[in-house]
Amino acid sequence: MKQVKTTNFGDRFFSFFTFCAAMVVLVSLAGIFISLIFESWESLSRFGFFNFIFTDDWNPVKEVFGAAIPLVGTFITTILALLIAIPISLGIAVFITEICPSKLKAPLSIAIELLAAIPSIIYGMWGLFTFAPIMSEYIEPGLQFVFGDIPFIGPIFQGTPLGIDVLTASIVLSIMIIPFISSIARDTILLTPQVLKESAYSIGTTEWEVIKDVILPYSKFGIYGGIIIALGRALGETMAVAFVLGNRHAFPTSFFDATSTITVTLANEFTEADSNLYMSSLYLLSLLLFVISFIVLSFAKFIVHKGSKKWNG
Amino acid sequence: MPGNKNIKLYSKNLSFFYGNNQAVFDVSIEIPQHSIVAMIGPSGCGKTTFLRCFNRMHDLYPGNRYQGEIFFDNQNILSKNIDVTLLRSKIGMVFQKPTPFPMSISDNISYGLKLNGIKNKTEIKDRVESALRSSALWKEVKDRLKLPATGLSGGQQQRLVIARALAVEPQVMLFDEPTSALDPISTSKIEELAAELKKKVTIIIVTHNMQQAARISDYTAFMYMGKLIEYDETNVMFTNPQEKLSEDYITGRFG
Amino acid sequence: MERLRKRKIQNNIAIGFSLLASIIGLFWLVFILFDVLRHGLSFFDLNLFIEDPAPPGFEGGGMRNAFIGQFMITGCAIVIGIPFGILGGTFLSEYGRMTKIGRLISVISDIMISVPTIVVGTFIYSLMVKPLGHFSGWAGSVSLAMIMIPVTLRTTEDMMSLVPWSIREAAFALGAPYYKVIIQVVYRGAIAGILTGILLSIARIAGETAPLLFTSFNNSFISLNMEEPMASLTVTIFQYATGPYDDWHAMAWAASFVIILAILLLTVLGRLLVIFKYSSK
Repeated sequence: MKQVKTTNFGDRFFSFFTFCAAMVVLVSLAGIFISLIFESWESLSRFGFFNFIFTDDWNPVKEVFGAAIPLVGTFITTILALLIAIPISLGIAVFITEICPSKLKAPLSIAIELLAAIPSIIYGMWGLFTFAPIMSEYIEPGLQFVFGDIPFIGPIFQGTPLGIDVLTASIVLSIMIIPFISSIARDTILLTPQVLKESAYSIGTTEWEVIKDVILPYSKFGIYGGIIIALGRALGETMAVAFVLGNRHAFPTSFFDATSTITVTLANEFTEADSNLYMSSLYLLSLLLFVISFIVLSFAKFIVHKGSKKWNG
Repeated sequence: MPGNKNIKLYSKNLSFFYGNNQAVFDVSIEIPQHSIVAMIGPSGCGKTTFLRCFNRMHDLYPGNRYQGEIFFDNQNILSKNIDVTLLRSKIGMVFQKPTPFPMSISDNISYGLKLNGIKNKTEIKDRVESALRSSALWKEVKDRLKLPATGLSGGQQQRLVIARALAVEPQVMLFDEPTSALDPISTSKIEELAAELKKKVTIIIVTHNMQQAARISDYTAFMYMGKLIEYDETNVMFTNPQEKLSEDYITGRFG
Repeated sequence: MERLRKRKIQNNIAIGFSLLASIIGLFWLVFILFDVLRHGLSFFDLNLFIEDPAPPGFEGGGMRNAFIGQFMITGCAIVIGIPFGILGGTFLSEYGRMTKIGRLISVISDIMISVPTIVVGTFIYSLMVKPLGHFSGWAGSVSLAMIMIPVTLRTTEDMMSLVPWSIREAAFALGAPYYKVIIQVVYRGAIAGILTGILLSIARIAGETAPLLFTSFNNSFISLNMEEPMASLTVTIFQYATGPYDDWHAMAWAASFVIILAILLLTVLGRLLVIFKYSSK
């Protein structure tokens, strides 16, 4: 492939200059990693890694810190958000690519992508003042009425529906990640060769059968990648969740319990930490979040890469 | 035109429009049962567009319009109340490039069967085997039925696609330049296959390759600029064409 | 036939579901936008822009300090972020293409785009706030710039890679050195795309809150000094919305309205630029 040999002075200078600019990315990655390890060292050496992540006590007064509750809160809200967002996003992607009239395609895509342009603080505001009251007055009592008495799943609908809880936070999060999944899914679905779709139609399939049996299997790697990127986004989302999850250091046992996530704990307590160990433990939370997101996002890149390689020979 | 044979399929004054562009002009043609009809003509003459009218493939895209009639077993398949899905399961199609679905070899073939509600595993297995046998692929793939179909060679993939179309037992098969992406050996296998298949189905084949048309077809239609110029028995067409244009094309003076 | 009818019903259900999904997506968008518009407009007045906050519990006041702070923090972030982004992107698409380090930086940038922004805030806190002992506007700008750089860098790389190689070769054939080819030919070809990328990355950081919480913090007084804590719209919204006073909530809505308006404007402008660019060709 083409690469240009650079010999004259101007080129040497410019290439070095641009190289340094690009290196900022690697430097900041390394900087984040080193400084977070450095800052969290006190907490890490005091509690130990495994002890820290399995301890469910978060008590600044007694100086005992453990990440179990924020970790569980982070994963529960993220997974619930994905469960809500995946079917809706795939439905949107399929509708845009396969079903909707061609004139509506572009406006609809842009509208859905605008959801991603809305800042998370706005989601938070809206969640707190508009959506949470609707949840606590109408939707949550309704869910409680329908599911509350069913064995096994009943308990997760118990409690006083205040609207500031796991369910509300997960729904708000799901709205935020819909555009990520749907736009990546849309782009990969569009890569399905037209002739492959035609040949499916030519043996007498319906639209849904073509989508389910040809298009989705064909574009599955891209879709998985999109879902994992959305997962990474949801893990690290702060403001939207901070408004509607409460900041309660206890495991949620029901959809209607408030709890905490790593990001919510950081946002609420970082500037109030009054001891070194407290601060260091918050840094350890930050490091955990960083490492988890980094792994998740790298995995997403890998999947997408693998998918594109597989189909393009 | 073909004599008093059993006519499986015929078009009557068929025109076709992509939006405002007319691509097929007033074509009337009769396709006899259990025969192979070759459509020849220079690139862009409308032969593929015409072929795709028979299974209403154009319906997939907005703005396309048919005019005239196509009768299939004496039913006008261009009429509004025709169930396109059902129609397509009776009229199979094979494309220029092989189009294996992203699934295993046997699933590619059983797919259509399952759609049609066949659930019995032994029956599916038998029909997969017989479809593969009739597309002369069985010996080559019988040990790797569960492997992805994308691992097959281009020629094998094309025969797999034919087997897949055959499995749902269509009455007519539309071939859209099925060998243009294949090497000569694979091409001759597909040609042999077509000759074998016409015992069961009626075949319309669009081809760029005049020798191919001469080798395998019973009737040949020559199209030019969207119009049907001449249609006759293949040996007549290639030895004694009536129209000046067909003669010029067949003798290689243009195209 | 029975079987076919069942399949058709299934098909209609699936199509109906995908239609429903799209309606749900649109519903959220309209719901949120309309809600912000409704609340925001009803509390919207000139005082918002020209007055500083009243002491807690007192009526009136505005968010002049936050508007100015937001502009300064974002503006400095843009000034820091854009050169790094564009030059870095230039390296990836030109001198560094096909090199291992170039690929690595490209992949890492993709990952950094989605890294939690609050983590960036904690990092800048340890780098710029803790050593100095106080929050500062600069710290806020640097953390926003850090979020902006990978975004600008990747869009610049993509847009420059879209310029066909034959155009570069034609310029080489005239005897131009590579840096001149890049500056005079490639940048010119990719300019609309790069601008779009910049607009979208500004839209992205303009609404960021989490990284500012621990860096520029907040300031209830007007300040033009980047070395001191500085108010921003987003952090002020957070503070006011979670506070106890109704007029705080009202002002948070009005500020949200302004932010969303600015961001939608930037986003739409970015998209129009692309459309304009490709339709004028």
